[in-house]
Amino acid sequence: MILARHADALFWAGRYLERAETISRCLSYAVNSITGLRADEARAESELLVKTLGLQEELQALGPLDSRPQLVAFLLSDRENPGSLLSAIVAVRENLRSVRDRIPIELWEEANSLYLRFPFLGHENTPNDLHEVLLMVRRACLAISGVMNEGTRQDEGHAFVVVGRMLERSIFTVGLLEASFSDPRGAVDAGRMLRLTSSLQAYHRQRGDSADFLSVVHYLLHADDLPRSVVSCLVRTENCLIGLAARAQALDLARRKTALLRAHVEFGELSAAVAEAPVAALSGFASELADVASDVQIGVAAPATVTAPRLQFLRPGPFGG
Amino acid sequence: MQQRVNSPNGLNSEMFDGYDASRTFDEAFESSGMARGTYQRIIERFAGLDAVEHQRLESLVADEFRRQGITFTVYSEDAGTERIWPMDLFPRLVAAAEWDELARGLSQRVAALNCFLADFYGGECEAIADGIVPRWLVVSSSGFERNAVGISVPHRAHCNIAGIDVVRGADGCYRVLEDNLRNPSGISYVVENRAALAKVCTWLFDDHAVQPTEQYGQMLRSTLESMAPSGRDSPHIVLLTPGIYNSAYFEHAFLARAMGVELVEGRDLVVDDHTVYSRTIEGLVRVDVIYRRIDDDFLDPVSFRPDSALGVPGLLGALRAGSVTVCNALGNGVVDDKGVYPYVPELIRYYLNAEPIIDNVPTFMMWDADQRAEALGRLNELVAKPVGASGGSGVLIGPHASQQELHAARTAIEAEPREWIVQELVQLSTLPAFVDDRFEARHLDLRPFVLTGEKTEVFPGGLTRVAMQRGSMIVNSSQGGGSKDTWVLAREAL
Repeated sequence: MILARHADALFWAGRYLERAETISRCLSYAVNSITGLRADEARAESELLVKTLGLQEELQALGPLDSRPQLVAFLLSDRENPGSLLSAIVAVRENLRSVRDRIPIELWEEANSLYLRFPFLGHENTPNDLHEVLLMVRRACLAISGVMNEGTRQDEGHAFVVVGRMLERSIFTVGLLEASFSDPRGAVDAGRMLRLTSSLQAYHRQRGDSADFLSVVHYLLHADDLPRSVVSCLVRTENCLIGLAARAQALDLARRKTALLRAHVEFGELSAAVAEAPVAALSGFASELADVASDVQIGVAAPATVTAPRLQFLRPGPFGG
Repeated sequence: MQQRVNSPNGLNSEMFDGYDASRTFDEAFESSGMARGTYQRIIERFAGLDAVEHQRLESLVADEFRRQGITFTVYSEDAGTERIWPMDLFPRLVAAAEWDELARGLSQRVAALNCFLADFYGGECEAIADGIVPRWLVVSSSGFERNAVGISVPHRAHCNIAGIDVVRGADGCYRVLEDNLRNPSGISYVVENRAALAKVCTWLFDDHAVQPTEQYGQMLRSTLESMAPSGRDSPHIVLLTPGIYNSAYFEHAFLARAMGVELVEGRDLVVDDHTVYSRTIEGLVRVDVIYRRIDDDFLDPVSFRPDSALGVPGLLGALRAGSVTVCNALGNGVVDDKGVYPYVPELIRYYLNAEPIIDNVPTFMMWDADQRAEALGRLNELVAKPVGASGGSGVLIGPHASQQELHAARTAIEAEPREWIVQELVQLSTLPAFVDDRFEARHLDLRPFVLTGEKTEVFPGGLTRVAMQRGSMIVNSSQGGGSKDTWVLAREAL
């Protein structure tokens, strides 16, 4: 039995952990990719990355990103940016701290060490050892994941972490595809999508050919053996929610919506919609994923105020626009 | 003139070079400079180190604490500043027989205080009726809680977790300095100090059999289980914390983990039909015992401070209905009040028909005109304390105070004599503490913890706090104090 607040904290710890790893991976890629580009190309690439991460609103307050240091500052250590790496690391620590009594000491120590080792709190300059820092963050995130998966009880708390991570991951992958389709330069780079999802090696091993854009899109949506594919994330989310909803009826809505989304991917409806109107289809799907995340939170909080959770009518989302 | 300490057994003595054991009672050295028997081997061990090695060990301990986030928060600094818990490596040793006597005295004191609380809140106020403690003094205490009157408490144990601050003066005798019966903190640091010292200086333990500390969680859990309302055989216990920004949050999480109970915030609990429930994802689950680490005023916004978001609306009603037990009980602050402190020896005689095993520090009650006149006449030799303050705040140490400060204190005492006590200055005992590159004598106190439920147990050891500034008697960590591992030595095998 888990407190509703603890479930919520673990769900968000999972989301922010995934976000921290994603941002560090994206930033590593971006810093390399924009080095040597013309100013306008670098700006376009930076904006594409920001869009991929869903941070357009946060960027609007800052204005256009004219230089590499600006991009790094925005994504790395901007306290005002809730999507920065710093914000994600702080949020992982705070959420785990609030459940410190129920998580293994090693898990807390890893999260706390990551926070303590993050070297430039409050500074906006690009550190000279940026790549080392980003590598350290990614390794720390992997270590935290390792302790979560191997060193903790596979109980409800663990399930909430997994649900948080998988939803965050699927939202990112869908966001990446949407941003790639909507790139105004029209030069969508399939390799870029694979690198940003750490899938390049897996793709080449399986397909053995050069990365064709549409086949990469299909791969990132459907590959059931790829941890970052949308279908993999949804299957894992659904499996966890099946166990949770058996104990907490209010989570059944999130389970059913997840099952529906998974079916849409597996049975090709999403791919069909993408073929017809890719940006609208992917944008709609991302909204549905965000809805599931909200439903998990509502489901977690529900038992204290609602004795019989109200179930909404379920229907397919507007993928096709 | 300083007395130099002899080099123990001819080992490298640079670490103790210039050690001054003559200012007051030193726990490790006699005033002649010879090591006391209990400490002989420990001193030899530390004398065998050099400063660089000692600093390396200190940094290992600090790293350990930093990694684990063993911190405390100082509210006066930047909001939420967390400091690493400071520990000096040289442990405090208490011989088995000495501890037994101390433990008996602590049990006796807490028993008497529990009798008084049960008499006052749930009985006939006999001690007051018989003139042991003046009624006006008790009811004028900021810790007095009218709402606690009539609430029944299992085993009449109002104080389940007590932290009694004791000191040793120049004569080496233990005396009680303060009673903490509301929310005494520090036990987690006792356990973590031991864990860190055992990890970093394993060799230190080779020469001694030391009573363990890691069993505190189970002791506390058993105590709390015994406090469950009748009929609740497998009680659901929770620990109520104000949240992650509280200065003692580390301790709250530590205790919840050690006991295997949920760490809850006020928003995790709800009261329905005079019963407390926790909000879980599966619905509401009845709560039987709440170990609260929130002050009375914040416990229930319906009955106390309406602006508090930390507590649980309706909790007082559930308490009155007897469906839940809150530990420590409501209203214990009356005996935390330093104004009641001078009466404790008399309460021991009254309720237990026994002489106090541990004395108080001689205290002047400022509401007594004769005692006030005497104390104010030599305030520059004494210590003045506000009755409601804690953490060393507002304390005036006469010999260290300026004329202006003494004048201000006299004025304050004359204006509100109920709010002050004045005590004889106790030259706290000293123990070696590592400063810069060698050991120097530093003053210290001790906070042992007493658990009371169906039975009373004194946890072996306690929090030894040490003033790290030369000559200072302020041991509070928020004011630069450090801590030491406290070893209660096991009894010799017969």
